[in-house]
Amino acid sequence: MSLPESMSRIVIVGTKSRMDEAIEAFYQLKALHLIDHTTGADGLSIGTPMSRNAKASERLLKVRAMEKELGIKKHAKTPKVPVDEIRSQINADSVENVEKEIMSVLDRRNDLNQRITELNSKKKNLELLGPIPVDLDLYSGYKTITSIVGSVTEDPTEVLKTIGDIEYFVSFDKKEGGIVAVFARKSDRDKISAALVDFGFTEITVPEGKGPVSEVLAVTDEKLTDLNGQLESVGKELEALQMKHQTFLKASDEQLSIEIEKGEVPLKVAVTEYSYIMDAWVPTNRVEDVKNELESKLGNDIYVEFQETRGRRMEEAEEVEDRYKKVPTKFNNGKITKEFQYPTKLVSVPKYQEIDPSVLIMIFLPLMFGFMVGDCGYAIPFIILGAYGLKVTHHKDWRAIATVLFFGGIWAFIFGFLFFGEALGMHFVTGEIENTIWGGGVNVTWDMLLGVTFPEWFSGLLPFGHGVGKLEAVTLLLKLSVYVGIVHLMIGYLCGFYNKYIQHGFKEAFIEKGGWILSFIGMVVLCFVLTQVMIVEEASIVIRGQQVLIVTAIGFILLIAGVIINFKREKAQAILELPGMVGNILSYTRLAAIGMSKAGMALAFNYIVFGMIMGIQNGVSSIIMLILGILLFAFLHLVIWTLAILSGGLHALRLQFVELMTKFFEGNGTEFKPLKIKREKTILTTENINKEV
Amino acid sequence: MADVGTGLIAIGAGLAVGLTGLGAGMAEKDVGAAAVGAITENEALFGKAMIFMVLPETIVIFGLVIAIMAIFVM
Repeated sequence: MSLPESMSRIVIVGTKSRMDEAIEAFYQLKALHLIDHTTGADGLSIGTPMSRNAKASERLLKVRAMEKELGIKKHAKTPKVPVDEIRSQINADSVENVEKEIMSVLDRRNDLNQRITELNSKKKNLELLGPIPVDLDLYSGYKTITSIVGSVTEDPTEVLKTIGDIEYFVSFDKKEGGIVAVFARKSDRDKISAALVDFGFTEITVPEGKGPVSEVLAVTDEKLTDLNGQLESVGKELEALQMKHQTFLKASDEQLSIEIEKGEVPLKVAVTEYSYIMDAWVPTNRVEDVKNELESKLGNDIYVEFQETRGRRMEEAEEVEDRYKKVPTKFNNGKITKEFQYPTKLVSVPKYQEIDPSVLIMIFLPLMFGFMVGDCGYAIPFIILGAYGLKVTHHKDWRAIATVLFFGGIWAFIFGFLFFGEALGMHFVTGEIENTIWGGGVNVTWDMLLGVTFPEWFSGLLPFGHGVGKLEAVTLLLKLSVYVGIVHLMIGYLCGFYNKYIQHGFKEAFIEKGGWILSFIGMVVLCFVLTQVMIVEEASIVIRGQQVLIVTAIGFILLIAGVIINFKREKAQAILELPGMVGNILSYTRLAAIGMSKAGMALAFNYIVFGMIMGIQNGVSSIIMLILGILLFAFLHLVIWTLAILSGGLHALRLQFVELMTKFFEGNGTEFKPLKIKREKTILTTENINKEV
Repeated sequence: MADVGTGLIAIGAGLAVGLTGLGAGMAEKDVGAAAVGAITENEALFGKAMIFMVLPETIVIFGLVIAIMAIFVM
């Protein structure tokens, strides 16, 4: 069983003057999980960020702002830049220079945008004024006369007629509303405005200009076209700038982020006037290595002391300071199991003191998926898709899915080939001819379809000589599912027992989990007896007469013993959970049920398609029917295949999460996150690989 | 023509799956809505939400087992 890697705690003390170098060394080790210092009884306070951080943060802010303005995407692909180069560029004020260059263009763009907005609103007003036959310069410039101009939603002509001593122009259209211009004495202004309000009057400012409105409008249009042209060329300039500086911006973004992250390390450690003290978790097998490495790099300016190797017993965690209680979990998995850490993490990160369920998921998730699919025809696309996914994608979500598809596909192929003996819902070997559509039944089989006879040894490989029919051998499949369930659940209970054993010792484990194991076995035995008594078929009865009583008694004793042990801790829960156990076991019948549902669909689809193809008479239309039939065949099986991912995948996952993991998994651990840097846009040159990480 | 007994078995099996399906659906409706809400708040809850989400599903599996037993075993 895989427990998380053993961890040790060390304390590192060093002189502040060489802290910078020390931090570089820490990052290079990739093995230190810092324990945050909390200002406590020791009276030490946390450090302050490196002085260079202020400048770097300011630059990073500029870089990010430029990236946003230029629309550089987060995952834009840019070539890798050597760290040396980018660092000297940053130090030579390249960020500031690029900013100047980009800002000047951006300023121009903003300026143009503003002017275009202004002109557009002017144009809108001019278009409104268009129908009124008054030159622009005649609207203003009078001593005693004022002009009231605005849009209206209803025709105000009738009212304006009744007001004496004014000149007015109205243009009105029922659909689009209208415009009104009134010339009156300055003293009458309020009166006229009040009269117009009833007609939905909104005043507009008359743009400045001379001559007829149409002429001014033409000039404005010309200006707008010109400005839009300029804006376009500025846009192109920006695009060119984006291309030119994209690599630099991406690389400096990464470089500055790394510098800032490193500069913030002092915030997590304790400092005195001349030294720093930091606590860290290190994988036990790296302790010596870390010590030697640091001492060889920093000599007398650093001192590393080993504190403890934490065991799995919970009492050990009780004795130490609060901040040392929780140990980070470093997964201890091989290459394949690593891909199955993802489903584990979906629930929670395992605690340091418990079994990491990734291995169990690796074994059972693809196995159950494969059993539910159980068909060569669907398995091959799964394998191909999975392998392709694993090769191409690096995103952890997709990788997890691809892994399940790949290994699940392999299991599905094995089950489909050797157990069910079928592909695309059709058996390879015909069992009884009466069941096939050639004999008046509903099944389609490959050997009849292709007109070949498979060699003797092949049908000898398959159970019953032709494979297990998902819709015929129902009892067998149900029984098999239940057996798988019992084994799976038993593993869960045993893992739970083991967890408690390493955490608290045998006695505690027996009280807490032993009771469940006993009552589970008791329950299984009783259920077995029940099936033996109830089953009518003579052939499948294993125990009879006196034996039944003995086995029942054993079952009862185990069950009662388990409940008594549990009762001490769980009280009434111990009894209430018993039906749940049967529920858990029966839950595995979904393995058979989902296989059956897919087989049922495939059977129906094959029957439809081959019924159609075989009913074809000779003639031109027969070719069209044949093509249609094949297309239909492909489409319908694609439907089943897609459903297989969803139902097979989700149900297989559910059996791990709900049935298996609830028996032992507690989770809520912290993941081991060592100080390390992942470079994507920048690259270390061989010369400075030792100086830098 | 199948006899009345077979018909009754078929109806029984249908009822077992159908009614448990309704039951599971009603239960999952509430759990699902809450789960989606929780995941929107915090994506890390996906695994736990899924566990709760699929719990009522077992009801339908029971119904299915009864139906299968009704058809094939009885």
